Amino acid sequence: MTDVHVVGVGMTRFGKHPDSDATDLGAAAFLEAIADAGIDPRLVESAYVGHVFQGMVTGQRILAQVGLAGLPLSNVENACSSGATAIREASLAIRAGENDVVVAIGTEHLTSKFAGALTPDPSDPEAAVGATMPGVYAMRARRYMEEFGMTREQLALIPVKNKSNAAQNPLAHFRKEITVEDVLESRAIADPLRLHDCSPVTDGSAAVILMSDTAMKKYGNGRAIRLAASTLRSGSVDVEPTSMTYEPLTWLTAKEAYDKAGIGPEDVDFAEVHDCFSIAEVLRVEGLGLFEQGSYPWAVERGEANIGGRLPINPSGGLIGKGHPLGGTGVAQVVELVRQLRGEAGVRQIEGARIGVAHCRGGKAVGIEGAACTVQILVR
Amino acid sequence: MSGSGVGVSFRPGELEVRPDGTGNLLGSRCRACGAHFFPVREACAGCLSQDLETVAFSTEGILYTYTVVRQSIPAFEVPYILGYVDFPEGVRIMGQIAGIEPGDITIGMPMVLSIEPFGTDDDGNPLTGYRFRPRETN
Repeated sequence: MTDVHVVGVGMTRFGKHPDSDATDLGAAAFLEAIADAGIDPRLVESAYVGHVFQGMVTGQRILAQVGLAGLPLSNVENACSSGATAIREASLAIRAGENDVVVAIGTEHLTSKFAGALTPDPSDPEAAVGATMPGVYAMRARRYMEEFGMTREQLALIPVKNKSNAAQNPLAHFRKEITVEDVLESRAIADPLRLHDCSPVTDGSAAVILMSDTAMKKYGNGRAIRLAASTLRSGSVDVEPTSMTYEPLTWLTAKEAYDKAGIGPEDVDFAEVHDCFSIAEVLRVEGLGLFEQGSYPWAVERGEANIGGRLPINPSGGLIGKGHPLGGTGVAQVVELVRQLRGEAGVRQIEGARIGVAHCRGGKAVGIEGAACTVQILVR
Repeated sequence: MSGSGVGVSFRPGELEVRPDGTGNLLGSRCRACGAHFFPVREACAGCLSQDLETVAFSTEGILYTYTVVRQSIPAFEVPYILGYVDFPEGVRIMGQIAGIEPGDITIGMPMVLSIEPFGTDDDGNPLTGYRFRPRETN
């Protein structure tokens, strides 16, 4: 079976784009990825486009915008894992031998679709009693504090770290460093979470061009990074109440990816994880097996997750700092991984990075641990 | 609707309400393996049996965790307390919490199901839903 290689990456600035839409942003990301790959766009054989609130056939609108018609194209919705799921589908098309050059795009113009707290679908029993995504993560934070003794100040160090990384990222939504005091004094959203603990409402798109071994021989540009694994799982139904401070879904998705890539969590040099909220970063990295359960807040305190630390987490700024355009998020994580592994991350460069992991987790449905979880492993 | 003021359940498939102001959250019990689920399911996630019965859950449970929601969608007036309660059947159910100040709440405290007015339907008619209240105050 062929390997899958990321040959070209593109990404718009993340932030507010009042004069643009999900189609324009997606087209811009696509064109940049094509230019980065250095290929004729007509080589692209199929497309997978992840988005959540952009309506029907947004993917077709994007490709029409750039003059590419007639391709097989699937629009992909998996909540906050939509873009990452698009990459997985694209990689499967290559591994199956169906295509040699495939594009995955993630896009979202969220500022025009929605404001405030994201909620589960209105049909959900938990939405009916007032569940919000910040509320759910706030409850997990409360429970984590109770079980492991994490302090509110320790939790604040995560947005401080991620916004510090974002301040160095020209494509990030937030470009300003913050302090622990800034976090603690920001507006209360769902106790104990405050505004700086939450990822923002962001517009943005990203795109990646994937190739098979055969296509690489013909069109490779010498800067490709291997997509060693791309896994996807849905949460199991709870047969009894389970811990909300540990994520079997994240671990099972990661374990399958580690096995496919022939590595273990101890081999990972850095990771982009789904920090939709500060507490989420804790739960993700512990679920991924990168840090022991109940240890991450102390590791952050010691600087281990900083760029230059033992295991940098969210060097791009993460969802909290770089922004979270739902469909765009998972693809942008892979863009960051590729730029880091190529050594093109500028002042945010992690020296000697060889293996990077990207993790997304999206959606909420009553009675299941989580909706859609993805893990991608990229190897230089 | 009735003399007691108990109206129509806001989610009849999930909450049964009676004219005397009592009610129960509803879910499924697997007749094959005994597992319970909220909400009602078509098949058991434990053993995949489709031999499920709809049951009314206990009205007392233990608070697993909680938050005070201060930003929500327009249908909900903020702030409100939201929590997860673990019931003896082995189900964890989310609900709003009333009858206690946030600062007095502790994880692990006993809670009871309380049947209460909860929003309105599309025509503005009052609906009946549920909240959790600390057991001590009832």
